[in-house]
Amino acid sequence: MRRRASLVLLAFAVFFAALAPLLRWYAYPRLAKIPPSEYQTAVLEAGPATLLDYGTMRPRKVSKVTIVQTLRGNVPAAEKAGKATGRDVVVWDALSYMAGPDGKMVSKIPERYVFDAHSQDPVHAGGEHVDGDAVRRDGIEFKWPFLTEKRDYRYFDAQTRTSAPIHYKGTQTFRGLKVYYFEQTIPWTKVPLPKTMPVKGVTPETVRKAGTSRWYSTKRMFWVEPTTGAPVNGQEIHREELRGGTLLGDRDRVTVFSGHVKMREDFIRHTVDMVKSQRQLVLLLTAYLPWGFLILGMALLALALLLEARGRAARPPSAPAEPTPLSVAGRSV
Amino acid sequence: MRALAAAAIGLAAALAIVLTMTAIGAPSGETSPKPLLTTVPKHP
Repeated sequence: MRRRASLVLLAFAVFFAALAPLLRWYAYPRLAKIPPSEYQTAVLEAGPATLLDYGTMRPRKVSKVTIVQTLRGNVPAAEKAGKATGRDVVVWDALSYMAGPDGKMVSKIPERYVFDAHSQDPVHAGGEHVDGDAVRRDGIEFKWPFLTEKRDYRYFDAQTRTSAPIHYKGTQTFRGLKVYYFEQTIPWTKVPLPKTMPVKGVTPETVRKAGTSRWYSTKRMFWVEPTTGAPVNGQEIHREELRGGTLLGDRDRVTVFSGHVKMREDFIRHTVDMVKSQRQLVLLLTAYLPWGFLILGMALLALALLLEARGRAARPPSAPAEPTPLSVAGRSV
Repeated sequence: MRALAAAAIGLAAALAIVLTMTAIGAPSGETSPKPLLTTVPKHP
């Protein structure tokens, strides 16, 4: 009986001991991924801010500018890109919509981001764009990879359509979460005019024909929860100018927008709550279950060995074998 | 010999569970019918 019990315990010990590394290094990289049907919104505000009045072509102080950012996973496009590349792909259609204090549109920039669901590396399967301009990302955007490392990453800047390093600047505590703080500074760079301008009759073409160009600079800050790679807070010190040309009269530059953009408090709370629960799922696969199963496996192995040892000790020593009488045709000889 | 067989059964069961889990994966779901917002939402 003891022998059978120790064999069953041994089978369970091997089961749990094997499950621990399999979960961590085989299942986790395959199971932890961004779902292709994700839908997320974030609201950021800058108040006060400076905004260009296109009527007078003069910048004015406004109480608040709001940026609404929506990300929507496009499942059919993700499946198509997945088949073309043989990878697990996510396609996000995003819109960054900026509204003035009166709620009227200031700018509207759509984009498409195609990336690997597991690593968050950009995938070049066609369709990537910013405001209709085809782009080729070589950096992350919106989200860091699961198990974010304390190092610099390349981050895609939608205004310049290029990727540049975003620097790890240290570990902080934010609303009870350990977060990595990242910072990227984009120096003054000439950038394309938005396809949709805030004033009727003014198009990128008319601005260009007047010899005026758009310039932009930003300092981008992210607080990233490292287990999920999700930013729980984001800020930008964002400046845009129009430079040169006949539109500006005797001035060589005017401010289009200038402000310190911060996530709205209710969206920070919502994001922190969501990340805290998602974090537990990732930790379940990377830490809780592997370590729990390994310890359980070792304990069961010890128990199996103990039972086997006791079983052997309790067994009576075997008596010397007596000579067996030879039997021939049913008769003893 | 019986100990080896027991260990093999445990290992095979662990492999079977992990391979099944990863093969099934998570459902893709569907594209959200919600729009890309052009108004400021009141709450998340």
